[in-house]
Amino acid sequence: MKDILNKTPLLFLDGGMGTQLQAKGLQPGEIPELWNVTRPQDVRAVHEAYFTAGADVVYANTFGANAAKYHGDAPLADVLTAAIGIAREAADNVGGRRFVALDVGPTGRLLKPAGDFEFDAAYDAFAEQVSIGAKAGADLIVIETMGDTYELKAAVLAAKENASLPILATVALGDDGKLLTGGNVECVAALLEGLRVDALGFNCGLGPDRMLPYVKRLATSTTLHIAVKPNAGMPKVIDGRTVFTVGPEEFAQDIATLVEAGASIVGGCCGTTPAHIVALQSLATNLPPRATNHQPQTTKRTLITSGSRAVEIPFDDSIIIGERINPTGKKKLKVALTEGDVAYVLREAISQAEVGAHVLDVNVGVPGLDEPAVLDATVQAVQSVTDLPLQIDTSDPKALKRALRHYNGKALVNSVNGKEESMACVLPLVAQYGGVVVALTLDEAGIPPTADGRLAIAKRILARGAEYGLAPSDFVIDVLCLAVSADASSANIILETMRRVREELGCRTCLGVSNISFGLPARPLLNASFYTMALAAGLSAGIVNPLSADMMTAYRAYRALTGKDRTCAEWIASFKDWSPASPSQSATPTLQQDTGNQIPETGNSQLSAAIRRGLKADAATAAREALQNGKSPLDIIDGSIVPALETVGKGFESGNVFLPQLLMAAEAAGAAFEIVRAALPSQDSGTVKGPIIIATVKGDIHDIGKNICRALLENYGFKTIDLGRDVPPETIVEAARREKARLVGLSALMTTTVCFMEQTIKLVHQELPGCKVTVGGAVLTADYAEQIGADNYSKDAMGLVRYAEQLFDTPADKAI
Amino acid sequence: MRMGRTVPDGALAARVAELRDEALTIIRPAHIGRRFPIQDGNIVSGSVRLAVAGTLAKHLVGCRSAYLACGTLGAGFDAFQRRVSATSGADALIVQAIGAALIEKLMDDVEAEIRRELQPNETLVSRYSPGYGDFPLTAQRELLSLLDAPRKVGVSLTDTLLMVPSKSVSAIIGVKEEIPTT
Repeated sequence: MKDILNKTPLLFLDGGMGTQLQAKGLQPGEIPELWNVTRPQDVRAVHEAYFTAGADVVYANTFGANAAKYHGDAPLADVLTAAIGIAREAADNVGGRRFVALDVGPTGRLLKPAGDFEFDAAYDAFAEQVSIGAKAGADLIVIETMGDTYELKAAVLAAKENASLPILATVALGDDGKLLTGGNVECVAALLEGLRVDALGFNCGLGPDRMLPYVKRLATSTTLHIAVKPNAGMPKVIDGRTVFTVGPEEFAQDIATLVEAGASIVGGCCGTTPAHIVALQSLATNLPPRATNHQPQTTKRTLITSGSRAVEIPFDDSIIIGERINPTGKKKLKVALTEGDVAYVLREAISQAEVGAHVLDVNVGVPGLDEPAVLDATVQAVQSVTDLPLQIDTSDPKALKRALRHYNGKALVNSVNGKEESMACVLPLVAQYGGVVVALTLDEAGIPPTADGRLAIAKRILARGAEYGLAPSDFVIDVLCLAVSADASSANIILETMRRVREELGCRTCLGVSNISFGLPARPLLNASFYTMALAAGLSAGIVNPLSADMMTAYRAYRALTGKDRTCAEWIASFKDWSPASPSQSATPTLQQDTGNQIPETGNSQLSAAIRRGLKADAATAAREALQNGKSPLDIIDGSIVPALETVGKGFESGNVFLPQLLMAAEAAGAAFEIVRAALPSQDSGTVKGPIIIATVKGDIHDIGKNICRALLENYGFKTIDLGRDVPPETIVEAARREKARLVGLSALMTTTVCFMEQTIKLVHQELPGCKVTVGGAVLTADYAEQIGADNYSKDAMGLVRYAEQLFDTPADKAI
Repeated sequence: MRMGRTVPDGALAARVAELRDEALTIIRPAHIGRRFPIQDGNIVSGSVRLAVAGTLAKHLVGCRSAYLACGTLGAGFDAFQRRVSATSGADALIVQAIGAALIEKLMDDVEAEIRRELQPNETLVSRYSPGYGDFPLTAQRELLSLLDAPRKVGVSLTDTLLMVPSKSVSAIIGVKEEIPTT
């Protein structure tokens, strides 16, 4: 059955179903799948017309028949089983070699983090649909009209794991050639190749003429069969009715150009009719067999993706993998991971993205932590704030499996090595979920001291990979970086192995560059020099700290000097403001002249002024200068930071300062305080108040108000643990208990979610007597808050700060 | 982010401009509008019935048909908002306000587009959205279903009836026929 999709020269699909049913009287808002049981003869007539027109495959009328979307009167199983039965009858009536596809469309729900629908819930809905459809006798599974890579992944996994039928997956592109959630052609190709579908392509969305550039791009990104099933042109509204205007002949001509560009599975979507499918038949007569028509590329590209960005791990250039989300040797990150301080991890992600990292490593290996749960949650949280693809970095197979399954896109997996146990465990996971895998050149005997030894291990891993269907382009070889202080030949061996991996195996390489300097002084200087050498030896991906100016300078210099940074544009953009006085940084903004003047002047230091004006960088600089000028940290805090913040706070309370200004001032104060705190003796730096647990309640996804509260609380010196949004009551109670929190802050924006706020308050009071609950949000009032049992209501973030100050019994003038 | 008569200061105005420019590169506006007859106080199509009752009925008095409309800035804007929220409350607030302004502008444009489709004797009454007054939020289900909004513009509902992407607006816009003056 797997060879259905290999028919040459062309495989013909059917045309539009919904628009055909509408022509037979289906109304907007009516459930098309219900017709499988109420009007089977009409559905069968459409299938028969398409088979008669020349379609090899018809899509059964099951597009919306998943439990998340379907809410008809007839049971879902009946509707699905009837649909496959009707299509089979049509095939038998027309005769010949005809196939019935189970049609799997989107759930109509937006998955997290964009929406509130869980990946696992989407998977369950698709799994049920696939199981019933396969049992009813479908010949293949088509997944179509997907607009979100994450939902697409759920559907493909459900199809793989609940049936053993061929899978054709197609997505709907918008005018700009992207999915609704932003994924482009390469994202889709990499994801679907990784998941090992049998064919892929586009349907709906665009008319056939508009699909051409995207089919061309797809053909360079995949070796699989390409399907096109476009609409009959773009929909137009004429007299209040949606109409499609491309007729059969024009449609067939446009499809011919798509076939030339590499498509070999063709049909139509909205607005196409049996006449359109008839017109396509003439295409097959003039074509050579498909094997020569569609030429797979000899070397596949090595792509990793997120939901909306594809990054190529290049053979002749290099990219940067940001190494900072890895707790090894990072005390602050260790604490953040242990305490569940997601915000800290997210800031690490964003700061690396801002300075130019292409991929982010995520490693949460802290002893005692539930690694599978924490890695899964961290990967999802990081994906919610950045579109960079991630490198999932763990040695725990359970953690890898869970994170890889829930990852949106095709991840970089770190890592597999030459040990039998590692290969047997990691390689099947990469084959199942897709991914590019980092292969470490070590095995049971350790790290070989020679290039020959390391190369032999790499070869062994590639051979094992082939058994699971993984190609050399699915691997990146890490030749392992050992300290030059321990072995003087270390750097030379690394460089030689890298060159030979490229030349002899045709593989890409990666390296954790900074290990080279372990045990030596001035590590950043040594690292940067070695990085340059490794780049020159052909390093495809350096795992480095992108916040290190030395490393980024080495990277940019290498690319400028080797012509990879064409016209030196990147170099110029990075260093246009460079001067010998500021060797590693572009100029920081200077204190701006202020036109507005609503914030009354108190205190006269430059630091106070910077805080009042909300200038973060200037506040930090002024604090640093004050320290250099001999001021004591406590003087700076009590003499400049606190008074400036107090002035702004009072200005806000009296209505002269507005919320964004208050927040900018608070953030500037926070930046200054960070500098000063570093200069404090260590026991004094622990003078934080709290902790306070804050969350947006279950069911609610609005978190701006809650985030503002977090920002202000933190900048007023409260340790704040932010559990995020849509947080169940039990999770909030658990965190408050663990942290021994005396205060829980809850936010809800909608009337429909206040009920969860009430439940949470009840549970906190019941489980943790003595823990106060403060609430806020657009629909709340002081009266309403009292009614649902809250201990306090704050109308804004400043009110919450004041309440917290009072509760924690700290004099306001020490509030930093 | 209303400032009343107060003029935003330099730092704030600069940040607003910066974030606005970034937002404009990120949004992917999409919209759909579709006209339905109002019959016996309902908009009915297939098995879906949207009740035109209460203050909405008063608002649409004299309208024999209405447009249902939905517009969105797209999921990318939410991702942008999540990113700035993780690093700066001030930026989050500014971006939120930028989003609100952009989606309102989009809906104004959608309304203008609809107006161009009208007959010479027809005018539009102002937009009315579920959740306003006694027009129940539950009507979002019917409204978005009649528009096939998840498929056409990628707007869907959470279990708690919030629209996602968050910067989305749905509305009913009545069409009034002028009585010809004699």
